Amino acid sequence: MRPFELSLTAVAAAIRARDLSPVELVDSVLDRVERVEPLLDAYVAIAAEQARRAAREAENELAAGRDRGPLHGIPMGLKDLIDVAGTATTASSRVRAEHRAEADSTVAARLRAAGAVLVGKTHTHEFAYGLTTPQTHNAWDRDRVAGGSSGGSAVAVAAGAATFALGTDSGGSIRVPAALNGVVGLKPTYGLVPRHGVTSLSWSLDHVGPITRTVEDAALVLSALAGHDPRDPASLPAPVQDYRPRPGALGGLRVGVPRNYYFEHVDPEVETAVRRAVDELENLGARLVEVEIPMARYVQATQWGLMAPEATAYHERTLRALPDRYEADVRVLLEAAELMPAGDYLRAQRARTLMRQEWARMLAEVDLIAAPTVPATAVPADQQTITWPDGAVEGVTDAYVRLSAPANITGVPSLSVPVGHDRAGMPIGMQLLGRPFGEATLLRVGHAYERSAPVRALAPVV
Amino acid sequence: MSTAELTPPEAARWADRAGLPLPADRHADVAAVANHIHSVVAVLRELDFGDTPPAAAYRAGEEEHGAAV
Repeated sequence: MRPFELSLTAVAAAIRARDLSPVELVDSVLDRVERVEPLLDAYVAIAAEQARRAAREAENELAAGRDRGPLHGIPMGLKDLIDVAGTATTASSRVRAEHRAEADSTVAARLRAAGAVLVGKTHTHEFAYGLTTPQTHNAWDRDRVAGGSSGGSAVAVAAGAATFALGTDSGGSIRVPAALNGVVGLKPTYGLVPRHGVTSLSWSLDHVGPITRTVEDAALVLSALAGHDPRDPASLPAPVQDYRPRPGALGGLRVGVPRNYYFEHVDPEVETAVRRAVDELENLGARLVEVEIPMARYVQATQWGLMAPEATAYHERTLRALPDRYEADVRVLLEAAELMPAGDYLRAQRARTLMRQEWARMLAEVDLIAAPTVPATAVPADQQTITWPDGAVEGVTDAYVRLSAPANITGVPSLSVPVGHDRAGMPIGMQLLGRPFGEATLLRVGHAYERSAPVRALAPVV
Repeated sequence: MSTAELTPPEAARWADRAGLPLPADRHADVAAVANHIHSVVAVLRELDFGDTPPAAAYRAGEEEHGAAV
């Protein structure tokens, strides 16, 4: 296999075995970027020369015995909402045409300290306010949506144009594109990974997390990202730990299988693939327990009641100063939420309190929940709605958010793992939801599933 | 259209009150999206919240404590 095709775990081992050097790896990924980027448009900006320089430094450090750990010398993409000192954070928006970040975000600083090499900044749906990332093409079929809002990050990882990437997730924006491109996405517990220096969509829903080739890779990246930073008021002093999953059976683990909500209005091929994966968890020793998702009727209302006014508040100044620089879909959402009464927002925050309590009760009965990540695979780029077998019509964006939003509202961690493809060859994702700070359990289960499933290839990029 | 829905001129007036004067060619689009958002979030009025506080909260002294960690 060529270096760009390898997982983070594999290249980290190869570098330590001296079978591969950071320079060879970064050159391989940059060659791949050159080949696939004209087809995919995953990146806003590529920093090839800086990446080559950083790779040489990593190589020299490793040769001198200074090993910064498994991310040392590994090429990555960062969603272009994440500040990197001295470069623009465009948020894929003309609003940010003159932007320049003065300092690293916490996550960029931690990855830099871990020796990771920045290949470039990846496309987001403008300001993360959307689920398709229209600038970018799906890695498995260029005519289909990348998913979003971290579309560029997921497509880059799926295509071998980055060994790993970071995304952000306020209503599914890590997990949705990960599922639609056949890669792993982890939305950590709210407060585990600091958001200082990351452009906000919605403060009370925003999370930063890894998009990777494998579950083990996600664990390696999370280990470098997690940890308290007082500059993010939501950041929590959780104990720093090594999240690398240990192999082993899942005996005794109780996996909740929702009897409502998560399997309603779900494409039959998605349902079949996810249920097969859940059965595999049972084969691995887990016990399946049916669970009732509480307050399901209020998920969409709570998500919108939180996100719309928070996003509009963030953009208050620029919406007045530079309204014509926003794309039409984002502009009208920002404008319309100016008309929401404060009572709507408070009702959503009170509903969230109730939902968190109910989810805590449910998660006391099981160790995790397994469900589809998204109800449908990647749709053609010009498709606006999905018609379900009972005749119901749902907007593509509403459908993609629907199964992700509960983890944003409640703050529980959620890991999306590829579990197969539909007949058109498009990837399908399964979501594992856990207790707050239960990442280690999710990673252990995801890793066990992954080891039992056939090895996944990179996206063919056609 | 239900009586709760905003007409385009009403949406323009509400936006104006929010400090966002809208050009005339945006009134209809903004009214339509505002009405959609309203129809989505209005479902929360079914809930009896009792004494439930909003989830947004803060811990006094948190930042000083955090900075010392």
